[in-house]
Amino acid sequence: MIDAALVQGIIRILLVCVIITAAYIISTRNLLSLVSMYSLQSVTLVCLALALWALESSPVLLAIAAVSLVSKAIVIPYFIATIQEKIRIRRDIEFHFLSPTTSLLLSMALMLVVYMVLARVLRNSPVRENLFFFGAVIGISLMLMGMMVMLSRKRAITKVLGFLSMENGVLLFGMFVTELPFIIEFLIIIDLIILVLLTTILTVGIDSTLEDYHKRLHRFRLVGGTEEQP
Amino acid sequence: MILLAYILAALAALAVIALSSTHRRMNAACIIHAALVVVLTVYILLFRQVPVASFLIGSQYFFMDSLGLYEVLVASVIFTCAAVYAGGYVESLLSSGELDQGSLKLFYASWTMLLLVLVLAFFCDNLALFWICAELTTILSALLVAILSARENIDAAIKYIFIASASMLFSFVGLIFLFETSRTVLGTGTLNWTALMQHASVFPAGMALAAFALVFIGFAAKSGIFPFHTWLPEAHAKAPSAVSAILSAVLLNVGIYGILRVYAIVHQTPAAATIAPLLALFGFLTVGIAAFSMLPQKNLKKLVAFSSVENMGLILIGVAVSTPLAIFWVLFHIMAHSLTKASLFFSAGILHRQYRSRLSTEADDEIRDVFRLQPLAAWGIIIGGLAITGMPLFPVFFSKLFILRELGHTSLPALFILLALLFVIASALGYFVISAFSRVTAAGTHSDIVPYVTPLTMKIPLVLLIGLIIITGVVFTQGETAFFERIVQELRF
Repeated sequence: MIDAALVQGIIRILLVCVIITAAYIISTRNLLSLVSMYSLQSVTLVCLALALWALESSPVLLAIAAVSLVSKAIVIPYFIATIQEKIRIRRDIEFHFLSPTTSLLLSMALMLVVYMVLARVLRNSPVRENLFFFGAVIGISLMLMGMMVMLSRKRAITKVLGFLSMENGVLLFGMFVTELPFIIEFLIIIDLIILVLLTTILTVGIDSTLEDYHKRLHRFRLVGGTEEQP
Repeated sequence: MILLAYILAALAALAVIALSSTHRRMNAACIIHAALVVVLTVYILLFRQVPVASFLIGSQYFFMDSLGLYEVLVASVIFTCAAVYAGGYVESLLSSGELDQGSLKLFYASWTMLLLVLVLAFFCDNLALFWICAELTTILSALLVAILSARENIDAAIKYIFIASASMLFSFVGLIFLFETSRTVLGTGTLNWTALMQHASVFPAGMALAAFALVFIGFAAKSGIFPFHTWLPEAHAKAPSAVSAILSAVLLNVGIYGILRVYAIVHQTPAAATIAPLLALFGFLTVGIAAFSMLPQKNLKKLVAFSSVENMGLILIGVAVSTPLAIFWVLFHIMAHSLTKASLFFSAGILHRQYRSRLSTEADDEIRDVFRLQPLAAWGIIIGGLAITGMPLFPVFFSKLFILRELGHTSLPALFILLALLFVIASALGYFVISAFSRVTAAGTHSDIVPYVTPLTMKIPLVLLIGLIIITGVVFTQGETAFFERIVQELRF
């Protein structure tokens, strides 16, 4: 068995890595690197699950690691990258409400708030161990940072990435605070995949149906004005 | 085992839809499926011991109690009417080119799936499983909104998905809190509602409060509670009217159902004293925002959609009062609102086909000569409007009256604020109806509006629903009372 102290050290480093990827997702303007950064974040999560498994050796964690690796590190990023090729957007430089710098500062403040709130709420639960508490705080912070991406980005496809990184935060939180039955985790992943498929397909729709849409409008007028059958 | 019957019915309907090539047959499959769900649910209610002992998969994931059966019954009645209505409505969408022939299969397949997932959601004992089903309802209904593949429909659908799903993630964190609480208290963690209800009284207040607050965010977004209501008017106004009726009359109930279930758990902890005023506050804000959004509204479907926001706020206030009588009438109001709102959207749909705005659904409706062109829809709007504002003889009258009465017992100033807001809403509806329906082309001048021949399949469900509304408003049987009382008891209020 690997030394527990070493594993705990690795977990801490990985948690910091997660936050760095989240910060990068908030601030970058290049769409391709956004997707690969999400993929990296998911891989970090998989490593975290493996490290936790080394500590606790519960088989659920291993299953979570496997499912996350396949779905979040490979399938979803690949799918989004393909869609991006199709709609030919490389950069997302439009932000509203928040500029990247303000969002970064804001997320630092949020992390502090999350720390304080969780310290109060989890006072009486067995999650008082330092490491697990740290993981829970990072999980919630990751979720809020993902939400900030959703708020500040204009393009739907970057919003999808924000949503995905929110979901990563929930998974992280769940991993550190408690262990849910595996079937639930598995169903959530399936739900997520359907959601991503649908939103990305709809995003393509936004960009491609515009001409089609104008054609339809034209037909409307004909139908409304004279009694012409389409 | 009876749950399998529901699943099999849905699968059969899906198979028929996949194999059939005509619109008529797909529509028939949907109607029969929904009717089967009604029959099954009535059968269980009358002849089975409720709660039905469920079949097991590892641990108890599903169960059928009175509340779940009640919600399924309301949902399936609305679905049956809406499926009949969709027959005529989709036909006219097809002929005007708003819906592609190719999307037809997708439309009916997601329609059937939506009913199946809804039924499963209402029968979930495990709250995490309920969460997943609720998420799936969001996705499937967003698909139904986006099916018209006009840009504004896709925009509305994406907004709906993002707001609802992102908030639902908060709910999931709340459920993790709940799971952790149960693990601390009981030793083994569980998310089964029945188990949580048994032990809820020993849950620590702080954890219960945090869990409920997070869960509330997600389900509030699903039921259009302020400040997460922004997706609602757009999605409801832009969806095809048959879908709008379902969104408003059934899907909003999923959110309220989730809030009710989780509130029933935390109601037994000391945290209830903090949560109830918060719920009431959100309820008031929701009713308020709906009232002042309705006042300047010129688009009929948006007006009706905002009225749904108002009713959800009212239900939330009723839940916050949380006396047994208030919960009793909240349950009644859920049904009354669903029936009335579906009928309103059916009428609005007919008017929408007649006067469809030529540029966008965003534009004002150009309603004129309504009694000459669409007398049934006009009367549908008038009767539905009277019913939803709570005139006597209609079911909403009783539920509003008693919720207000219970609120008055708790706080008199709150009652007066609510009354004032309800008055604003009633006048907004009245103003719209009077100004829109009194527009008449002067005799002799030529009107360029071509009358829309409303197919019988769109008229029948409308008449049927109005009949149902009047029946539920006038007749109140002993069995009905006993049934609602049993639900209140199951929820332990």
